[in-house]
Amino acid sequence: MSLIVAEDLAKSYGRVVAVDGLSLSLDEGSVTGLIGPNGAGKTTTIKMVLGLLKPDKGWVKVFGQDPWDNTAIRSMIGVVYEKAFFPAHQKTLEYLQRVCRVFGVPESRAMEVLELVDLQEASDRQIKALSAGMLQKFAIAHALVHKPKLIVADEMTANLDPQARSELLDLVLRLHKDEKVTFLLSSHILPELSMVCDSVAIINRGKVWAFGKLTELYEKYAVGIIRISTDSSYALESEIKKLNYVKELESDIRGVSVRVAEGKEDELYEDVLKLAKKIKAKILGIETGSASLQELYRLAISGKERK
Amino acid sequence: MGKGKPFLEVMSSAIHEDYRFPFLELFAFLYAIGTFVFASFGVTIGTQGTAQGTTNEIIAYGAVSSTLSLPLFIFIILVFKNIAYGLGSDLEKGIIQTYFSYPLRRRGILTAKLLSALGIALILFLGIQLSGLYILAPDIVLPQLGTVILTYAANLSYPLLIAGIMLLLTLKLRRGGISLIAGLVLYFAMSIISSIATVFAWASESPLGLQIISMINPSLALQQYYGGTFEFWIPAFSEVLIYTGVSYVIVAIVFFLGYTYFSRRLNL
Repeated sequence: MSLIVAEDLAKSYGRVVAVDGLSLSLDEGSVTGLIGPNGAGKTTTIKMVLGLLKPDKGWVKVFGQDPWDNTAIRSMIGVVYEKAFFPAHQKTLEYLQRVCRVFGVPESRAMEVLELVDLQEASDRQIKALSAGMLQKFAIAHALVHKPKLIVADEMTANLDPQARSELLDLVLRLHKDEKVTFLLSSHILPELSMVCDSVAIINRGKVWAFGKLTELYEKYAVGIIRISTDSSYALESEIKKLNYVKELESDIRGVSVRVAEGKEDELYEDVLKLAKKIKAKILGIETGSASLQELYRLAISGKERK
Repeated sequence: MGKGKPFLEVMSSAIHEDYRFPFLELFAFLYAIGTFVFASFGVTIGTQGTAQGTTNEIIAYGAVSSTLSLPLFIFIILVFKNIAYGLGSDLEKGIIQTYFSYPLRRRGILTAKLLSALGIALILFLGIQLSGLYILAPDIVLPQLGTVILTYAANLSYPLLIAGIMLLLTLKLRRGGISLIAGLVLYFAMSIISSIATVFAWASESPLGLQIISMINPSLALQQYYGGTFEFWIPAFSEVLIYTGVSYVIVAIVFFLGYTYFSRRLNL
């Protein structure tokens, strides 16, 4: 069953097109990552899913219903924004107890969720006195109060230290495994998403450029990819570009990712070593079919760009 | 689960923020000071009125008008603070987004916020004013309750209109700073416009300008009715009621627009 279905969504802010014909479907029990560069349309998409923005075109259904001003679905959704927003002068535990009353769950749940995010010691503190990281943890506790079936999080780990990030990702996995919570997570930190997501939607320029199970996407975009780690990636890239059997090529500061015509892998190894010698580049390693989510993302984007 | 609890919790949360220490204490103190200090003058001034109505009505009008002058200004400041700083910062910082994750309709959220921003301020204002008047002059308040209510109604409609305009601006701009400036400008502009209209009325002996202003600020018509300075315009009581009614219709329209925008159009 699909918990979120979006069809041909479009949203503009004046002349700026934020989302342009985006379609998406999120299965129950999945952990789906929304990835894309700044301004790709991730936050706008999430806001339309949450009923905060009205699409200019297209539609979105959450639990089969239009999310705009829809109170029926809100008890089933937990929301975490990139920056957490709460009444600043209230105490953490008191505010969560209030939220318990809003959702009709026992007030004891407030302390449970504070403990879940390791904030029990800040239960008597005013919200405005929390650090950025603590505030983000508090936002997560706030989203969990009513035991939602779906959690939508926009850059959930943005303000957290590495330890807290790791704990939070564990929490996502635990909630997904034990309580079958479905997640829609947007993040710039792709290694994190690869740890928890089973599906990803790559968004760029307001459109979904690639969407599916991670395994399927790897198969589609990363099989046949050879990753060459080097200290002179851009120089090496311009040399490799001249090889006529190279089908796709991407580079970053740490290396070059290459897809070649079938059966040409061995030829590439030999050529790369020759070219490296020629330009005095140091080859640090060559791996086959081992693209990270980051590379997958780059390959999907670059593949589409070329088309 | 009933629908009442989310509404009450959001309202209680809004009240907690709008009237946190020392705002409630400070404004209640200022209301009380304003009411009691000016009430003593009010009765004296009121007895000097001559234009329309019975002597008791004129006394009641004079007493209420004099006691509410300073507290009304304090009420306006409190409402401006609650709308521009309270609702404005909730929109700007995103607390409204958080409320939108609760099982409560948008209009319910706005009602909860407005009951806190306006309703509590009004209860506080009227509660202290009426109590003060009753303590100081019980023989005025109860026998002349109609006059007392009409005087408050006529004096409150313009501040409520400004509050409505500020609400629209705050919702549209999603921040409170500009709406606060607009509110203050509108508040002081009324005095200037009234003065200009008065001069124009004296010069032309035409009450048209004053009549137009009375549709948004009926306290002007009421003032003419109970102790008017213009011989060429002493409105009838029914006319005063019409001006007051029209002014509240305008206020209602402005708030209706605010609700409609918040419920149907506000994108966050």
